[in-house]
Formats: sequence, C-alpha cells, structure tokens
Amino acid sequence: MELLKIDHLKKRYSSFELNDISFSLESGYIMGFIGPNGAGKTTTLKCMLGLTPKDGGSVQLFGQDFFQNELAFKQHIGVSFGGVDFYAKTRIRTITDVVRRFYDNWDDSAYRSYMARFHLDEAKRPSELSGGMKIKYALALAMSHHAKLLILDEPTSGLDPVARDDLLTLFQELIETGDVSILFSTHITSDLEKCADFITYIENGRMIASCEKDELIASYRIVKGTAAQRPDIEARLVSAKTHAYGFTGLIRTKDLTDRDAVTVEAPSLEDIMIYHAREEHQHEKSAE
Amino acid sequence: MKNLLNKEFRLVISPLYFLVTLFGALVLIPQWVFFIAPMYLLFVALPNIIQFSKTQKDMEFTMLLPVRKSDAVRARILAFALLQTAQVLVVAIFAALNITLYHTPNFFIDPNVAYIGCVFAMFGLFNVVFFPMVYKTAYRLAAPLIVALTLAFLFATGIELLVVTVPAATRVLDGISRDALIGQIPVLLCGIAAFVLLTWASMRASIKRFEQVNL
Repeated sequence: MELLKIDHLKKRYSSFELNDISFSLESGYIMGFIGPNGAGKTTTLKCMLGLTPKDGGSVQLFGQDFFQNELAFKQHIGVSFGGVDFYAKTRIRTITDVVRRFYDNWDDSAYRSYMARFHLDEAKRPSELSGGMKIKYALALAMSHHAKLLILDEPTSGLDPVARDDLLTLFQELIETGDVSILFSTHITSDLEKCADFITYIENGRMIASCEKDELIASYRIVKGTAAQRPDIEARLVSAKTHAYGFTGLIRTKDLTDRDAVTVEAPSLEDIMIYHAREEHQHEKSAE
Repeated sequence: MKNLLNKEFRLVISPLYFLVTLFGALVLIPQWVFFIAPMYLLFVALPNIIQFSKTQKDMEFTMLLPVRKSDAVRARILAFALLQTAQVLVVAIFAALNITLYHTPNFFIDPNVAYIGCVFAMFGLFNVVFFPMVYKTAYRLAAPLIVALTLAFLFATGIELLVVTVPAATRVLDGISRDALIGQIPVLLCGIAAFVLLTWASMRASIKRFEQVNL
C-alpha cells in the first residue's frame, strides 16, 4: 500500500529553489533521503509537514491530501529533527508528560522500553544529555505512539557506531510488521547501505533519483583508467577525479560500452553522492 | 487546544508569572495613576515569557507535535489572554479594597468599574498590535514590544487626561459612589467586548501571518 506520495513539491527562496521533488513510499519499507548539506532535505521534510508553506505540488498520506486531514494524519506520524535541544532545563519526565497527552495511541510501555533500551533517565534534563542521548530521546518521543510513518531528519548524526548500529537494527524491527515506514534523511550513506530499501537522492534542490537502493547502485559504475583513456570516456562521465595514475570517475551504467577498456567497479552510495556533487560544482564554476 | 494550553502553562509560562499579577496591589497607593499597576504584566511578564519560549526553542518543539501552526498561535494568545484576565481580576480585587478603605476620589481616574473596563480595552489594544507583529517573523520581539507598549501607554494616558480635562468623560468614567459604579457597568461591558474582539482579531491576523513564516 502506498503510504506517502510527494508530487512535484516546490519551494522558492531568494537564493535557493526546491524544484519538483517527487517520490513515494510504500508501507513496510525504509527510504533513505540523501543529499549533501544544503541540498534541500530538511526543507522538503518541513514543506511536507506544513511547517514551511510550499509553493507548489502535493503531499498525500494514505492516498488522501495531507493538508486536508492534517490533524488526524499527524497522529500517525512520528517526527524528529535531530536531537532534543528544546527545554534544556526541564526534566525529561515533564516534557514527556506534556507530549503524551497529544497522542490518542500513546503507549507508555513502548516508551518505557525505548527509554530502557537507550539507557535514558527520566529524571535528567536535556542539558545533561550528550548529543547522542538527545537524539535517542527525540526518537523515543517520536516512536512511542505507534506511528505508521516516521520522518526522521539526520537521526544517526552524532551517534557513536554502536548506537547507530543499534538504531538501524531497531528501524529494521519496526518495519518487520509491514505497517510502519521510515523516511530518514542523512548524509551518512553507510547507514543506508545497511538498512534502506529505497533511496531518494536530491542535489541542490533537484531530484537526482528515487528508486530501490540496489537499482540506484546498479545504475552507476565507478570507472578507473589512465590519462590516455580519459578523452574517450570523458563526455559520458558524471564527473571524475584526476590522480597520479590517471582518473577515477562515475558513469551511468547505460553509458558504458564494451569498447571501454577501463576498470569497472560497483559504486557505494557515497561514491554516487560525491561524484554528483562534483558535477554540480563543475556546472556552477562553468556558469560563473 | 486543551493539550496545547497544558503545554503553555507547564513548559512555557511558569506559575510564578501569576505572581506578577500581584502588582495589582499597587492600586492601593492613594492618589495614583492606577493604569500603571496592570502594565507591569506587559512590562515584565509577557516579554520574558516570549523570550524564554524563544531561547527554549518552544516553536521547534511544538511543531513536532500533532498540531497545526494555527493551533500553536491560538494557544499562545489564549494563554496570554488568560494571564491578562487574571491580572484584571487581581486589580479589581484591590480596586474594590481601595474604594472600601479610602472612600476618597482620586485626582486621575478612580479605581472603579469603568477603570476595570478600560484596563480590559488596554490589554485588547496591546494584543491586536503585539501578536500580529510578533508572528510576522516569529522571532523579532523588540519592535512589536515598543509599538504595542507605546499604544497601550497612549491609550491609558488618553483616558487619564480625558477624566481630568473633559467633564463629559469625567461623568461617564469617574466616581466611586454606588450610583456612579452602577452607571459605569456599560463601560465595563464595552471594555470586555473590546478585549474579546481585539484579541480575536489579533489571533486571526497572527495566524494568517504565521502561516507564511518558513520555520
């Protein structure tokens, strides 16, 4: 079942434009929302939730317009924008007691189990928590009302590798029932290699891709060759880096031919992001 | 709305701010400019509450909750209106005490029923200017405070001067005799109506502006 559908979402600022962002997410999957800093990930999430007014496009949840049913739909969404950096001097117990009243489906036992899993003490205040613990508390709040869709902005940034792995395992557990979906933005692509089913990739406010993770990786190849081989393939490369032995570049798999006598490897998500960012940077430089 | 008001009074507005309403006791000062007493709420409590809410990133917190942007604005203005109403009630208690204790007319407006109505109207005037200006950006506070406080001050000064200089105004607004107090009830009702209408208008304008703010 299609849970979330973003269609041609637009937002214009004086110096930045979010242009025609479209993607959809089925129930029971994890979608990684990736792009470099400033690509428009958080702006997209904020436009989706109505925190920032959009200039065009639509957002559908459960097949219906999100903004027509905003209050009811928000009951089924868990949102986290980074860690808890609000009410620094208020006890966590008090903050939770305020939050829980807003949700019809608040589950105190689920909340307690997340707090125990994350080793969080309700008697503490956010100012007494480390960066990672603040994120964990934000996630505990976002996940304790049996949300159907979790929208998490950079949930793993600032967490140590053990905590990140634990969180990714938890994400996998959450979607196992098939009822919950997770959309999470990140620039730590290795997290997505571990757990994402789908990837939506944006760059400078534009869509680059939105598809299955394996399909995205399969649609690109890393090519390595000598300086002499470069002119033949240069025009087809997304972008490339020059080094002492020649070059390493990213190419779309469909642009690769049997005649190319270069070394071909599968890229990581990070490779795809880095080479696209270089392409964007080169475009900007040539435009200046 | 109940949950948002609960949030306002548990996280944003410390119960200690209700103690600020005790500045209403200044109405017991003999021969004074009584409009100053309720103004302490505007001088001390409201700016501090808004500043606290900004530093504690209340807006970021509220927007994670299952609420609309408009609900957040309604709850904040309603919470402030409740504080203002509490302030008027405290002022009214001490005003009654003043009349009972002193039985002496004041040079400026007496702490009577008409005065209470005018305090309501003053708060309404403050609200209709302050909140729409604040919610234009949701972070700038200085200009809205200066403009709204100036207007409230000018309104209060205007009433005080009218009572002293215009006999017709004195007849309607001044006096502490039983008949005068009963005769002032329409002024009180007009003041309450102005407070309600202006606060409602403030809410509408604030919501319209806040919807356009990029959070």
